[in-house]
Amino acid sequence: MSVSVQNLSVAYRSRRGDVTAVDNVSFALADGEIMGLAGESGSGKSTLGNALVYLDQRMKATGGTVTVDGRELPIADTRAMRPLRMTEVSLVPQYAMSALPPTRKIGKLMTDLLKSHRVGDQRAVMTELKRRLELIGLREDVLDKYSFELSGGMRQRVTIIMSTLLNPSLLIADEVTSALDVSTQRAVGEMLLEFRDRGFVKSVITITHDLAILAQIADSIAIMYAGRLAERASTDAIVNSPLHPYTQALIASLPEVGVRHDQVTLTGIPGRPPSLVSPPAGCRFRERCPFAFDKCTQTPPFVEIEPGHTVACWKASDERGAAAGRAGQEQAV
Amino acid sequence: MSTAVSEILDEPKTPAVGRKRSDFVYYGLRNKKLVFGLGLELLLVLFAIIGPMLAKYGPQTLTGAQLHHPGGTYWLGTDSLGEDVYSQLANGIRESYLVGALGAVSAAVVGMTLGFTAGWRGGILDEVLQMVTNIIVMLPSLVLLVVIGSYLNSRSVLFEGVFIGLTTWPWVARAVRAQTFSLRSREFVEMAKLSGKRPLEIIVRDIAPNMASYLFLVVILLFGSSMLLAASYDFLGLGPSNTVSLGWMMNQATQNAALLYREWWWFVPPGAVLTAMVAALLVANVGLDEVFNPKLRQQ
Repeated sequence: MSVSVQNLSVAYRSRRGDVTAVDNVSFALADGEIMGLAGESGSGKSTLGNALVYLDQRMKATGGTVTVDGRELPIADTRAMRPLRMTEVSLVPQYAMSALPPTRKIGKLMTDLLKSHRVGDQRAVMTELKRRLELIGLREDVLDKYSFELSGGMRQRVTIIMSTLLNPSLLIADEVTSALDVSTQRAVGEMLLEFRDRGFVKSVITITHDLAILAQIADSIAIMYAGRLAERASTDAIVNSPLHPYTQALIASLPEVGVRHDQVTLTGIPGRPPSLVSPPAGCRFRERCPFAFDKCTQTPPFVEIEPGHTVACWKASDERGAAAGRAGQEQAV
Repeated sequence: MSTAVSEILDEPKTPAVGRKRSDFVYYGLRNKKLVFGLGLELLLVLFAIIGPMLAKYGPQTLTGAQLHHPGGTYWLGTDSLGEDVYSQLANGIRESYLVGALGAVSAAVVGMTLGFTAGWRGGILDEVLQMVTNIIVMLPSLVLLVVIGSYLNSRSVLFEGVFIGLTTWPWVARAVRAQTFSLRSREFVEMAKLSGKRPLEIIVRDIAPNMASYLFLVVILLFGSSMLLAASYDFLGLGPSNTVSLGWMMNQATQNAALLYREWWWFVPPGAVLTAMVAALLVANVGLDEVFNPKLRQQ
């Protein structure tokens, strides 16, 4: 396990008290795994991603540990995190397109970075950088350009190159494909795959609300709802046999190929996600869940009910628990 | 810096670099205000360097010829004590530039340090620094100078320059703070934080370059206003003791009623030269503004 997040909670300070945007989240990533983190707006996915790299002044980690390559990250200590950013964990922010300063040339920006991290052999890194630029189809002369001389897609790719220049173990790509046209989305997705395959990054978390792009590039998907993980399984399992009612509704709300939507209306999920200022007790999807029953007033545990398939839902764990009970016992023997 | 990049990249300089560099030079040389202002200023600086060497007498040497009209021996005449006005003028210009530079540099250093700190940190520290800034703005610097000066045995040029710097920095601090405030929430600054740069690096490499032209102009303005302030302090007799300056010359001329007796060579040269020094700076400043700001450029 190259990355392991245990019981991580992150809260935003607000005048009405702390708002827990990421609540007791645990997951692990194997070396070379690309995990998609999906969920609707406000579900805490970006907060989770940011918390692993940079907690800004409004945020605070209220519990949990993050381990990368067997080493615990001091995520609450922004000063201690400084040398680890971009070398151990790196984030491509949501605003990757405007993340380059207008007054510094790209090449200078890269050397600034090497100086900040006190990289000894700058020449070797710059040679490698040129190789990578070539790899993703950018010409070397972008290094002599200012960011405003590049197109949006080029800037996005330069930002990704910059974030991965120092070969971080974990790369968090926050909405890197949104705001791009479909073909560029695909190119960026493939770039992430390529970088993983070549070992520039060990594992990747891509945060998005676009399940289609995840189906193409992710090995596994975690679904987040109202600050908690609802379900985590392989991409195949999430797409074809989701267990959590929220995931099921999410998948069902996607348009299907070949269906004409002038006859069939796309269905969404009725209701709205709960406010995180005073979240309801028990399962947070309860209000909107068609299968809710008495037990749902208690918080469902996030349990592995099949190998590699973890769900936080009483219905799913009760049903599968009964069916898989026998199998589980046999395995235990 | 950029040479470091191209060294590392091990490649010949592309035309792009040259083009960007010469952009300012191109527009600068075509800007009449800048060429005129800077040209005049350079001439005056040159005079400040060479002028005193050409003087036949020291600035406070008694030549014996009192109130001599300008002419062959005494280029700009002599004052009522028989001191050479040319020599005083040449040394005075040098003095003015020295005080101006000292004032501008100390105001810029203090103002930028506090401005960047307040803007970057925000919160309580910003409140405190803002309060200090507002207090300094409200302090009557003339009264302060009289009070401090009364405790000193002698006032030096260094003291005057630093005093001017320490009373004019709030304007720099305020503007730098405001700019830093707006820049620090920009995405590229967030990205710099994400990439593990230290705050000082972010301020120097990511924030400051975005206001470089402003900072440059502000230093020039401070330079001019410091010279004027110094001249007015000197004129009031609050300037450095035992040195000759333009303000002091005008002070002496007034005290000896040079205006009344029409001894024009005594007070016109220092006044005219001081006006030229500051005006040239301001004209160059307007020109520079046009060069830096693409919206003001006339093709």
